[in-house]
Formats: sequence, structure tokens, C-alpha cells
Amino acid sequence: MIFEERQVEKNNFSSRAIFLFVIVGISFLAVIIQVFALQVSSYSSYELAALNNKNYAIPIQPLRGEIFDRNGYAIVRNEPTFDLITQPNLITQPELFLELIKPVIYLSELEEEEYLKKFKEKAFVNKELVLKKNLTAEEIARFNVRSFNFENVFIDKRHRRVSDYPKIFSHVLGYTSRLNNQHDLSMDIPRSHWADAELTYANGLIQGKTGLEETYNQHLLGTHGTRVYEINSRGRLVKTLEYQPPERGLDLHTHLDIKAQISAANALGDRKGAVVAIDLNTGGINVLYSAPNYSINKLSNGVSVEEFDSLVQDPDKPFFNRALQGRYPPASTIKPAIGMFGLTNNLVSWMDEIDDPGFFRLPETGRIYRGWKKGGHNNVNLNKALMVSSNTYFFKLAYQSDMTDLASYFSLFGFGNKVCRDCFDEDKVFLPSPEWKNKTFNTPWFTGDTVNIGVGQGYLVATPMQLANYISIVANKGGALSPSIANVDHEAADLYQNNRISLSSGDWNNMHDALTAVIESDSGTARSIRYLKDFKVAGKSGTAELVSLDSKEAYLEVRDTELLRDHSIIIAFGPMPNPKYAVSVVIENGESGGAVAGPVAIEVLKSLLNEQ
Amino acid sequence: MSNRVKKIYFDPYLFFSIFLLATLGLFFLYSASNADLSIVLKQAAYVFIGFVLMISVSQADPDLFRRTSFLFILFSIFLLGVTFVFGPEINGAQRWVRIGSFSFQSSELLKLALPIFLANYLFDKKLPIQPKEILITVLIISLAFVLVARQPDLGTGLIVALSGLFVLFLSGLSWSFIGGAFVVLVISSPLIWNMLLQPFQQQRIATLFDPGSDPFGAGWNIIQSKIAIGSGGIFGKGFGEGSQTQLNFLPETKTDFIFSVIGEEFGFLGVILLLSIYFFILMRCLYLALSARDRFCRLVIGGLTLTFAANLIINLSMVVGLLPVVGMPLPFISKGGSSLISLFLAFGIIISMGTHKKFLPQ
Repeated sequence: MIFEERQVEKNNFSSRAIFLFVIVGISFLAVIIQVFALQVSSYSSYELAALNNKNYAIPIQPLRGEIFDRNGYAIVRNEPTFDLITQPNLITQPELFLELIKPVIYLSELEEEEYLKKFKEKAFVNKELVLKKNLTAEEIARFNVRSFNFENVFIDKRHRRVSDYPKIFSHVLGYTSRLNNQHDLSMDIPRSHWADAELTYANGLIQGKTGLEETYNQHLLGTHGTRVYEINSRGRLVKTLEYQPPERGLDLHTHLDIKAQISAANALGDRKGAVVAIDLNTGGINVLYSAPNYSINKLSNGVSVEEFDSLVQDPDKPFFNRALQGRYPPASTIKPAIGMFGLTNNLVSWMDEIDDPGFFRLPETGRIYRGWKKGGHNNVNLNKALMVSSNTYFFKLAYQSDMTDLASYFSLFGFGNKVCRDCFDEDKVFLPSPEWKNKTFNTPWFTGDTVNIGVGQGYLVATPMQLANYISIVANKGGALSPSIANVDHEAADLYQNNRISLSSGDWNNMHDALTAVIESDSGTARSIRYLKDFKVAGKSGTAELVSLDSKEAYLEVRDTELLRDHSIIIAFGPMPNPKYAVSVVIENGESGGAVAGPVAIEVLKSLLNEQ
Repeated sequence: MSNRVKKIYFDPYLFFSIFLLATLGLFFLYSASNADLSIVLKQAAYVFIGFVLMISVSQADPDLFRRTSFLFILFSIFLLGVTFVFGPEINGAQRWVRIGSFSFQSSELLKLALPIFLANYLFDKKLPIQPKEILITVLIISLAFVLVARQPDLGTGLIVALSGLFVLFLSGLSWSFIGGAFVVLVISSPLIWNMLLQPFQQQRIATLFDPGSDPFGAGWNIIQSKIAIGSGGIFGKGFGEGSQTQLNFLPETKTDFIFSVIGEEFGFLGVILLLSIYFFILMRCLYLALSARDRFCRLVIGGLTLTFAANLIINLSMVVGLLPVVGMPLPFISKGGSSLISLFLAFGIIISMGTHKKFLPQ
């Protein structure tokens, strides 16, 4: 009985044990099949994967191209410095580290603070953190003796993006900043590897953020080099397998003129405003100046948060590029365009005279539009109207004009358009028209609106860039080139169709004579600048009113508030009769156009013509 | 009587195959540790102690294990308790008992104690096993599982549970009961997933099906292991030449993923040779189980051998990407004293059970 039961139990055990061992066998088989699939069937793809694992390509940052003015002088260059570089990821106690390094390298309290702050917020693409830039020879020697104490600290040659004119070119050149968008990185190297890039700049991987640095970022950037390392999984580099040097970026040659830009800045002084000058032969922009401004050297090479914030919050808005984005009423400087519109549409001829009693009365409402001179200019024709800047004449001419036609005529001069081919963030502004007003304010266009536009007030606003473009078209008698800063082969401009203004050459000559008389005749409104130079200049000044007032007395009250004072504007070209340069100047709250903005324009023209 | 004392209980097949395995393991470990001789020497010391223990333990009569099985399991649970109260926390888990400079993973003992205890409980029960006995057995298994899984060490917990379940199954659990339990398990699996599994464990399972979904996180280990094995090809890259291993792309080369090192450096041929040794050991154990002198011995040999097999298969399946990543060493090869000692002890017991023959009373 016992034996029988034992036999039954034994059989039961055997069958179950064998059952389980069969499962074990099947599992073995499954593992073998999987290993076979990995090692034999898919061998080549896994072999490649293993290779990709151990080969680690890192980019080598190229030097950016430098930017030159039209005479071949560098405006922005790469300045080599010897910097003390640390690797924050390898330093556990930054405070302690600073205590240790202080006897070797002189550090100001500010530098220490900056370092500790950046230590915490170190950017993704910048594995290195520069502790001290621009080491002295003494510091280098001292460090080299003690460097064995500082395993993760080294001295290396780095570059800084430096301009010798950091403030006056700030808006046109723009600044570089640390690359913050991984998507801007070249894809031939995996994105994550960029964190290990061999850096050429002290500020890490940089890109153009504004101005020419941004517009021509690709041109200036260069091509990164590559170093392929064999690495282990911790990213420790074992040895170099492959090396391809970086290619320096292309230099950018521009039409800018350092001397003329300096004279614009000096002439403007500490006033707010903008100056734009254009070479009439090439369309090249020689001067593009906006004040106040900021130091691009600081912005490109690390500016403190406080300093940056104070720039952003400065009520004078130093970051605001007045030359490209400032919207100013063109005031009387629009009068030549109104006159040409009248000639083209046969509303007036050079002969027609009107009586200027000092004001214009709108027939429909009887509303009075005053001129700048009490009592007016008596009999005026177009030539005299431009020369003495008769408001009455242009009120009347505008009154006769169709606003939609006038607006499209303005667009021929680039108003309401981007006019510069390679300016950073240019404002195209807008063109006022009945349709525009209806859309913007939901109110109809009144005839009085058109009358105001006749003297460049009311809804009409333009940037200094647009004004310079406009006057260069006038100076070139209708045929002008789209302005550009860089002297490179531009593709056909697509932002602004440069239409010719259809005017007879007689009309053009008369126009040039009238605009020359503005400055060069005894009764021209801008005659005060007549003797500042040895060549003849044509132009038109303007005083842009910020508040609409009926009397001079009322303005004298307003004027106490500086920010409500009129803007001073001039557009000019010369030397006459064969002009080479056109210039526009706007001085905020500068008042009286000819006398205030005029000398600035003259200084710039003199500088461009080497007449200083 | 004197004759019995002089007899040495020894199984040459198991002895030499384990010796081969452990010796090869030292070589593999040398490569896997980036030629760190001190690790290999320490492991070699454990191997030596293990052989001494194995031979010593195999001299004891199976009845000794049977009689002391209750004490043994009590001691194991006591150690787990000590671990729970005093054990150092390493990587968020308490798994170790430290006595002086010697530390031991306390759950390893339970892998031995539980099947022996259950075999003792079940070997004299009538077939088929009664519901009450099943209930008691399942409760004991559950208790053991929870104790280990709480450390937390889900992998070892599962192995401990399996070691008990194997004994239960081998002792004659009815098929209908097994079928019912299986159905319950399948139905409750969503509940297990949501209630019992930690997010990182869910992640590991999800990763198994799509390692690419998180190549630098949970999928990293599986991907690197497959690359290591796959790039080994048929003949391997050679001893110490595996880039995945030597450049540390492969994680845990000395422990859980040492099979991938072997795959990378010795290729498919090396893998087949290694698996053949394991398979031979398993077949020899099966033979011993089938020819053991009584039901207790059969159950213990079967339980311990299948636990060993489960341990092995889980590790292999994990590193080749067939199972989710669970911490499980490759028997006799992975670095780790506790695991080695408990393996040698297990085989000491297996040899004891397999070589002690009792003649039926006439």
C-alpha cells in the first residue's frame, strides 16, 4: 500500500518535474533564438550602433566674420583674450573654489558675484564659465605655477566680439548673444553634443541677435569644425579619431562710413534722434544712427541683469532704433512730394500763384488752418511755397487732392513700405487713407484730414529711414536704388518696388532749384545753415508738431514740457547740382527744423564728402 | 555506521560543471570590471568559500534539513526583520544585513529556506493536496513574498514566491486549481498593474515593448545591452575588446548585465557554450530529482533547481530584451557574494538530497 502510493506520487512528481523542465527548455530556446537574432540576423545594425556609441563628434566653434566700413576699417572685430575658464559641472562648491583661486587671480567683488550668479544659471549650450576675462601676463604666470591645484580650471585663448565704436553703431550692427535655441544648431552633429563644443568665444556659442549681426548671421557665422572622439559612456574622451578645422565666417563689407557716423553722433550730441545717409550712386547706407544708444560690447560679452534691465526701463529707450522704427510726422519735409503730386495730376503748375494770407479756410466748415508765419507770404507759386514753406499753399493743394491717390503716390517714395533691403526690424509704418482710417478708428475720412497731410501732419508718419529713402529718390530725380547697409550682391528687392516718379526733367530741375533755394537763398527757411559749408545743398526742413495748437502763444505754454516740444526734421542732399549723398535727420523735441537738424545734416554731408 | 561516516557525498557532474562556470565567471568578471583585479580576487574568495560550503553541506543527511527546516525559515525571517530595522539604505532599498565588514543580502536565505520548509510541510500529504493545505502554503508564500518585496526588491520577491510555488506544484497541486488561479491572475492583472506596481516598474515594462520611447531613460539599459550582444556577432570582439563594455556604455556590467559582456566579447559561440553548461547542470539536477530517495528530497531538489532555472532565465530574458528590467544576477557569474554563497548552499543541499540513498526497509 505504502509502496503503491509512493509509486503514484513518484509518477506524479516525475511528470510535473518534466513538464516544468520542458518549460525551462522552451525558455532556453527562446533566449537562444533572440540571441541569434541579435548576433547573427541583425549583426550589422548593432555593430553600427556600437560604433555610433563610442564615436562622439563635437563641434568646434568657428570665428565669426568681421564687419568693415566702406573704407575698409573694422567696425566689429574678434579680439583674442586669455581667459580663465572653469567647468561648473565639475565644481561642487563654487564659494570654496573662489576662496582658493583668489590668491592667484585678482577678482573684484562684482566679478565674484557675477560668477556665482552665472554659476547657478549657466546656459545649456555653454558648459564653460569664464571666471576672469583678459588675464594679465602676471596672472597667467601665477596661475601656471599653481595650476595643478585646479584640475578643472584652465587658461585658454578665447575671443570677444568687440567694436571700437560700441555705442554709435549699436543699432545698426546689433549684438550677439548666447545661442538659446537648440534648433539653430547645425544638424550634422547631434544637438546634445553642442553642449561639449570647443569654444572660440568667451561667451560660448553665439548668434547675431539684432542688427547686421542678426541679418547676416549666416554670412558671418562660418562653418563649425568637427572633432570625433572615442568616448566612454560617461562622456570621458578617450582619444581623437578625426579632426576637421572650423572655417572662419565671411567678413561683411558695408557702405557704412565710420567717420560720417561719428560726425552724426557728435553733431547730435546728447539729443535724441536719428540720422540716415544714403549714397545716391549705390543706394548704400553710409550713416544709420540712432540716439540714445547702448554699448554692444557689453551686450555681446555679458551684461549684468541689472544693467540690461536699466537699459530696457530707461525712459529714453536706448534700445529703440529711432532710425528704423521711430514714427515721426514728416511735417514740411513732405511738401516736395505734395508738390510733385500736384504737378503730376495737373492740379498746379510752376507758374500758378495763390495768395497766402497766413491761413487756409476750409470751405465746407470754415475751419482755419494756420501757416507758421503770421500774415502769410503774399503771392506764392510752387517754387516760393517750397522755399518759404508756405503752409497755405500746400493746405490748398492737399485740399484739391484725392486722398487715396495721394496715399498711393506716397507709396512710390517708399512710405508705408520697408525700404531698406537688410535693415533689422525696420518698421514699414502705414499709409493713411480713408480706408485705413475707417479700419483703424472706425470713423470716416474728413477733408480736413487731407489738408493736414498737405503739411505732413495729422495721420502721416514716417521713419527717418523712409525720409532718407524719399529724399534720395528726389535727389536722383526719380531713379533711386533700394538702400542697403551691406555691400553684397543683393537679390532683387522684394520688399519694395522701386517705382519711378514720372516727372519731366524740367520739373525735376525746378524741384532741385526750389529745394536748393530752401538753404541757399536769402529767404529760404533753412538759410541759417547756408554758410556752414563750402558746397551747395538742397533740402527741406520741417518742424513736426506733437500737439495741434492754434496759436504761437499756446505753443509757448506747451513748450515748457520738453517731451511735447516739436521735433526738428531735415532732409537734404548735395553737393548741388550733382548730388552724391542724401541725408535725413530727426531730432526729437528739437524744435525749429532748419536751425536745429540742419547743422547735423551738414556735418554728415561734409564728412561723407571729405570736406571737414 | 563507521562506513557511512567515511563516505563522501559528492556529485562529480555538478561539481565540475559548477567549477567550470564559476572559473569562467571570474574571467568574465575581469573583463566586465575593466580589469579590476581586486574585484575578481574578492569574487574568487567567495567562490572558494562557496565550494567549501557546498561540499560541507552536501555531507549532511537530508533528514537534518527536514528537521531543522522550521528553524531555518524562522532564522531567515528573523534576518529579514533585522534588515528591515537596522539595514543600511542603499539606493532607496534595505536589502542588506551587515555584520562587521561582512554584508549579506538577507532575502537570499529565504530562497533556500522556503522551498525546504514547504517540502517538509507537503511531502507526507496525500494526493491530491487538500484546499486547507493549499491555503496554508499560499499564505506562507505570500508572507515571504511581501517581506522581500517590501524591501523593496520585487525581483527577488518574485523568485522567492516562485520557489514556494514550484514546491507546491511539484507536490501535486491539482490542475483545476492551477487553471483557476491562472484565470484569477489574468483578470486581476490590471489591478496589479495599477495598485501594486510602482511607476518605475510600470515604466520598465512599458520600455520592454518600446525601448526607443525613452532611449536615455528607462530604455537605455535594454538598448545598450542589445547593442552589446548584437555587435558581438558570431565570434565576439575578443576578451577585453568589447567597446560597449570597456567604454561603459553597458550598465551594470559586473552584475545584472554580465551576460551582455559575454555576448559582446565571445559572440554567439560563447553564448552557446555558456548556455550548454547551464543546461547540463539543469539536466543533471532533474536526474537527481527523479532518482532521489524520497518525496521530501525530490521536492527540495525540484524546488531549488527550478528556482535556479527561473533566476537564470529571468536574467537571460531581461538582458536580451524579452523581459522587463528586474535586478537579477546571472548565477555563478555575476559579482556578488550573497548570491554566490546562497547558490553554493543550494547546490550543496541538492547534492546532499541527490546522493544520500536510503534503502527501503525490508
